[in-house]
Amino acid sequence: MKILLMGHPNVGKSAVFNRLTGAKVTESNYPGTTVDYTKGYMRLEGKDVEIIDVPGTFSLEPKDKAEEVAVKMLKENKDAVVICVIDSVKLERGLYLALEIIEEGYPVVIALNMWDVAEDKNIWIDVEKLEDILGVPVVPTIAVSGKGIKELVSRIKEASPIDIEKIVEKAGGVEQ
Amino acid sequence: MRKKLSEMDYGEEGVVKSIEENLRDKVAGMGIRVGKKIKMATKQPIKGPVVVTVDQYSISLGLGIADKIIVEVEE
Repeated sequence: MKILLMGHPNVGKSAVFNRLTGAKVTESNYPGTTVDYTKGYMRLEGKDVEIIDVPGTFSLEPKDKAEEVAVKMLKENKDAVVICVIDSVKLERGLYLALEIIEEGYPVVIALNMWDVAEDKNIWIDVEKLEDILGVPVVPTIAVSGKGIKELVSRIKEASPIDIEKIVEKAGGVEQ
Repeated sequence: MRKKLSEMDYGEEGVVKSIEENLRDKVAGMGIRVGKKIKMATKQPIKGPVVVTVDQYSISLGLGIADKIIVEVEE
């Protein structure tokens, strides 16, 4: 099994990666810091599992080099579990990418990262309801402090492919 | 009143009414879709990009894209 860390640029994927692997990947405040990818290993239920920090992408229709790398890595790892890191403040557009990945048939776990920043902005997300609609584990995280990372790891095993039609149905249909 | 997103004034708010077909997927990844509330934050001079606020975050759009998004604004 492989784990891919995916999400928009600048949502804290590398921070999550560092927490999961104990590595020290350089992070900075410049957008698109991870253009290449980083590989590492984490312990998951007594086994070493490979985890890849994929460059940030807005969607699965690549618009630049980094996005091309991201999409290619996803397609090359059909057996991967995807941890989709979302900036909690930018939930909706994060979900767009998450749904695209789910639609491709990958088991997904969602990390609602920067949860503290969302709280500061008085944004409250109903995690239980989101889990119910999507059918995938959703875990609030604050990667820089490590909050929620343990729960994120413990819930990777719950990830399974979800039929996108079921999500549409649960969400109450698609607006035309 | 309907106008192009690029024609919105500073601080003006509107609701996205239509997006040119071939652009829809592109801007959806940025959180813009029909029905979304949008606020003009900044316009850069000399045909520069515009910055709009959606939910509580900023998105910058090229003028060419902003021209192809129609919004409904209060009179």
